[in-house]
Amino acid sequence: MIRKIIVIILAVIFMIPIFWTVLSSFKTLGEIYQYPPTIFPKDFSLEGYINIFKNMDFMRYLWNTLFVAIISTIFTVILCLTIGYSLAKGSFKGRNLLSNTIMLTLFITTQITMVPLFVIIRKLGLMNSLWGLIIPAIFTPTGTFAAVQYMKDIPNEFLESAKIDGATEFQIFNRIVVPLSKPLIAALSIFSFTWRWNDFILPLIVINESKFYTIQLALSSLQGQYGVAWNEVLALAVLSIIPTLIIFLLFQNLFMKGLMGGGLKY
Amino acid sequence: MQKWIKNRFIFSIPSLIFFIIFTFVPIVLIIILSFYSWDLLRPMKFVGFQNFKHLFVDKWFWNSLYVSFKFTLLSVPITFLLSLLLGAFLQNEDKFSKIFRAFFYWPYMIPMVAGGTMWKWLLSTDTGLINSIFIRIGLPLVSWLENPNFALFSVVLVQVWTLTGFMMMLFITGLQNIPQELHEAAIVDGANKIQLFWKITFPLLKNTNILVLILSTAYCFRDFTIVYIMTTGGPGYATTVTPLYIYQQAFSSYRIGYASAASFVFLMIVFVISVFALKAQSTESGDTI
Repeated sequence: MIRKIIVIILAVIFMIPIFWTVLSSFKTLGEIYQYPPTIFPKDFSLEGYINIFKNMDFMRYLWNTLFVAIISTIFTVILCLTIGYSLAKGSFKGRNLLSNTIMLTLFITTQITMVPLFVIIRKLGLMNSLWGLIIPAIFTPTGTFAAVQYMKDIPNEFLESAKIDGATEFQIFNRIVVPLSKPLIAALSIFSFTWRWNDFILPLIVINESKFYTIQLALSSLQGQYGVAWNEVLALAVLSIIPTLIIFLLFQNLFMKGLMGGGLKY
Repeated sequence: MQKWIKNRFIFSIPSLIFFIIFTFVPIVLIIILSFYSWDLLRPMKFVGFQNFKHLFVDKWFWNSLYVSFKFTLLSVPITFLLSLLLGAFLQNEDKFSKIFRAFFYWPYMIPMVAGGTMWKWLLSTDTGLINSIFIRIGLPLVSWLENPNFALFSVVLVQVWTLTGFMMMLFITGLQNIPQELHEAAIVDGANKIQLFWKITFPLLKNTNILVLILSTAYCFRDFTIVYIMTTGGPGYATTVTPLYIYQQAFSSYRIGYASAASFVFLMIVFVISVFALKAQSTESGDTI
């Protein structure tokens, strides 16, 4: 009983920011600044949402974000599957060295390498381009780790019997490994999409023209302006969490289990 | 070439290209750039160890490391205890646990920009929900994000909020892996629930404890987004963590070489943490890849 009460109280505290944001996003700007604050919107208003479509190029930001998230995800899945197969089932010289080097970089994220990353992206002419958000992000050590762990469990006999039947390496990969990895592909796609949708640092250093903004970047830049219209900011914050919410509700179990024992962000 | 194909190395090549260009080269470049002075416009100038010399006496760099450590040392224990408590409370596979796990995990899924924005709104001095509750119960108004004493505490709060659900899941996995027989034996010996937890369950969670401590340390230590959104490092330098300081040096002051030297020091610290993390991870899964 005490256990349940503590859990419920904590859950309410954890949910307050989200519910308060959602409720406030439907208030008029006047009501938002009202004291004492109303809990439920007195005059239910779509002002904030309408202004987002009117005052900023929301559809473009949405398109940019979706484009980056979807294209990155496709490439990420391909890269994870190929390197996963190579490291899990290959026996070439330096395999362990390669695995360990990649694993050591699990924690070396954009926060740490942003300066040289910026220099490289600039050198490659990818500044202010959506490809500048895609190409540097499509290889992920986390996804690689997950793929290797998954593919280790594919029985070697399957691969060997295909080999005896005269299949080429590519055919083995394409006709046996990929179909057997469907659950892995699903998990990688969902995780990769969320990572890219939520990403902030890469857009922050790569993009400075507003026509290439992603939604996260737009949300951040809205707050940098003078005289922040909080109802717009809150409406945009709500819109930016909707895809994550849908994906989370659909694939809750997958997320709760994590991509692996100690799943990592990025 | 033939032998490579047979050995499946060829399947590593696409990833390897991206790994080298966007992970390996940047690390090498941090070291190279840190010996140069460069503002992106004029040509690079070799300056030897000068950046490091300046860094060594840069009070705001040391301050940023101090803030990063303080931020981490505050966030990690709170996250640890809260997620351990929730993990212990929600480890059963009943309906209640399953539903409530989602409530705590959800903040981890939310984009940090949106999460930071929500909290910034909640904590704002004049219109924030927290302060209006404070007024109503007779407490003074608090400038959560503008007062140097409270600003760091506020970002710690949000970091804990985002991370707890994820760490809770690690604890649940760890708890579910503990054999039940040990508990039954202790109950027969007359142990109460709290004794049972601290004397038997907690010590058996050793691997999970280490994993949670190291992962949350790594996350908190490199946090950038929450601080950038909520305080942009202010007031003054009160919440300027090292990644934010590096960002400002590179992209506001255009001191690329100097920011690289700072990155190098930061990289070394993260490197040490990640070596520990990988060790913990391999003990946890009993498996190195």
